[in-house]
Amino acid sequence: MSETVLSVRNLGRRFGSEGDFVTRGLRRVGLAPPPAVVRAVEDVSFDLKKGEVLGVVGESGCGKSTLGRMVAGLLDPTSGTIDRPDPGGKALPMQMIFQDPFSSLNPRKRVKTLIGEAPRVHRLTSPAEAESYVAELMERCGIDPSYADRFPHAFSGGQRQRVGIARALAVQPEILVCDEAVSALDVSIQAQIVNLFMDLRDEFDLTYLFISHDLGIVEHISDRVLVMYLGRVVEMGSVDRIFDAPAHPYTRALIEGVPRLDRRRTVYAPIKGDIPSPLNPPSGCAFHPRCPLATDLCRAERPDLRDMGDGRQAACHHAEELTKEGEPQWPATQTG
Amino acid sequence: MTAVLELRGLQTSFVTPAATIHALRDLSLTVQRGEILGLVGESGSGKSLTGFSINRLISPPGRVTEGEVRLHGQNILALSEPEMRGLRGRKIAMISQDPMMTLNPVLRIGTQIRDALLAHEKLDKAEVRRRAIAALDEVGIPAPEDRLSAYPHQLSGGMRQRVAIAIALLHQPDLIIADEPTTALDVTIQGQILALVQRLCRDRGTALIWISHDLAVVAGLADRVAVMYAGRIVEEGPVDDILDAPAHPYTQGLIASVPVPGQRGGRLQQIPGRMPLLTDLPPGCAFAPRCPRATEACATMPALTPVNSTRAVRCVHPLIKGAEA
Repeated sequence: MSETVLSVRNLGRRFGSEGDFVTRGLRRVGLAPPPAVVRAVEDVSFDLKKGEVLGVVGESGCGKSTLGRMVAGLLDPTSGTIDRPDPGGKALPMQMIFQDPFSSLNPRKRVKTLIGEAPRVHRLTSPAEAESYVAELMERCGIDPSYADRFPHAFSGGQRQRVGIARALAVQPEILVCDEAVSALDVSIQAQIVNLFMDLRDEFDLTYLFISHDLGIVEHISDRVLVMYLGRVVEMGSVDRIFDAPAHPYTRALIEGVPRLDRRRTVYAPIKGDIPSPLNPPSGCAFHPRCPLATDLCRAERPDLRDMGDGRQAACHHAEELTKEGEPQWPATQTG
Repeated sequence: MTAVLELRGLQTSFVTPAATIHALRDLSLTVQRGEILGLVGESGSGKSLTGFSINRLISPPGRVTEGEVRLHGQNILALSEPEMRGLRGRKIAMISQDPMMTLNPVLRIGTQIRDALLAHEKLDKAEVRRRAIAALDEVGIPAPEDRLSAYPHQLSGGMRQRVAIAIALLHQPDLIIADEPTTALDVTIQGQILALVQRLCRDRGTALIWISHDLAVVAGLADRVAVMYAGRIVEEGPVDDILDAPAHPYTQGLIASVPVPGQRGGRLQQIPGRMPLLTDLPPGCAFAPRCPRATEACATMPALTPVNSTRAVRCVHPLIKGAEA
């Protein structure tokens, strides 16, 4: 068993304001409604092992980016703990790679500054070595080092993402949080960047928290997968178990709904409805209004995340039925 | 029976004092009644521009410089602008990627549907309301009567896209051009929209051009596929033929770049480099600099050559026999 590099316990994040002085006063005498609070992330716990890729999937608004930002240290949790690795020297243990390679690079800084500034400030390189340090990183990430004096606008989307990766690697992190890091890229470029991530993992023993809405990429790159719905983990386990035999109807709906090259002229039978508003989540299981298997129990009681016995956890009252052979009725995608 | 849409040698160029850029070249396509054509390509391949060219929505300095766009056999490039306005929305409808951009943010949904209806038909108030409710109902919007008075920002992304589709379908158009309408949506919502579009097009026999960068979406939806690269169609044919046995190395590279479900870990096949800029195209085949099969012969542009009666490829060294240009 390899060592645990990050452990997250009961992590939660609420957004909402208490309002100004007047609102607070009115609320105290019962004239204003209670503050609207969004529980963006609630009660999320997981461990990251060294060299592992944990994929985080879910629809927009499920809290996966908030989770990533908290893990990366960009946002303080309102409850729970994150035990990060001991920096052990000057290196920074966590780095984040962002979705949009256009807005995540300062347009007024040259690439050599973008990549070289952080290691210089943190004294990971001496000023004398800075240039070769940057050149080496650029080379490793597939950018021609002779472009070090250029500004970000001179690069294409894929190359900018490589600059972003080089910048993250420059401080010798142990864990990379990738928030939709390949979503904005074209298919052929996406494959290049995914391959780069895999190579870097082998070379530097990196650990990834890989956040994406693209199940195809997550299935390809991850060792374990965490599925979120409305701020909570609904299922977590090895990529094989999750994709071969999902134990939560939401996971199943996601996987069934993904268009695939081998599904031609498909008749999609998607789950109904939108993701509910996090301001006013449904009672019981948050997924029950959209779930084809929902019963009265689901409407009344929120299922806890429980162990399924195969190293997987699922938060569904009917998880056993779903994984059983001779599965229950499911409006599966047909090919016609 | 004539095809709903026929493009013949379409060329769209942007003429500036500095340079003339041919953004679309030698584009020929046919779409039959009830057929769904998937138009696939990466950013900058000209796939969206094709949609705009068909609808004559290219603004200067761009313009269609050559070729014909035939709607039911009639060349609509020769029409006057008022005549063209009579076609847009009535015969040809568009659905764009971001419904926030097509819907007016300061007008209620009902007002926007009314405007679209009255643009081509004379209807009284009650009839407008009835048609609007029916249109929203058809695309699966719950409580359509109440939604008429809603503003676009009060609806979710999926609902907005449904409204955009409802407006596109108002006049029962013969052709719908859908430009990446599900790209901004979540997987479950994308499934809903795909199911909706499929049902509506099949029921009404509407021809559909589905523009997308996502091969997998096109695989599930389209009857035929056309793959674009740097402003040209490089391969075209029935969806099964193209995806199971691509003839163009670029199509093959695109297919191989998509992770295969069940095949976890390992390296993805990648296409080296990136698409050349239109200002800086190589002579001959634009894909040659990235192509593993390229030879000196690729320095002359190959023509789009029929492989058999249903498919064609533009390649000097195609991957299937009998297709050499």
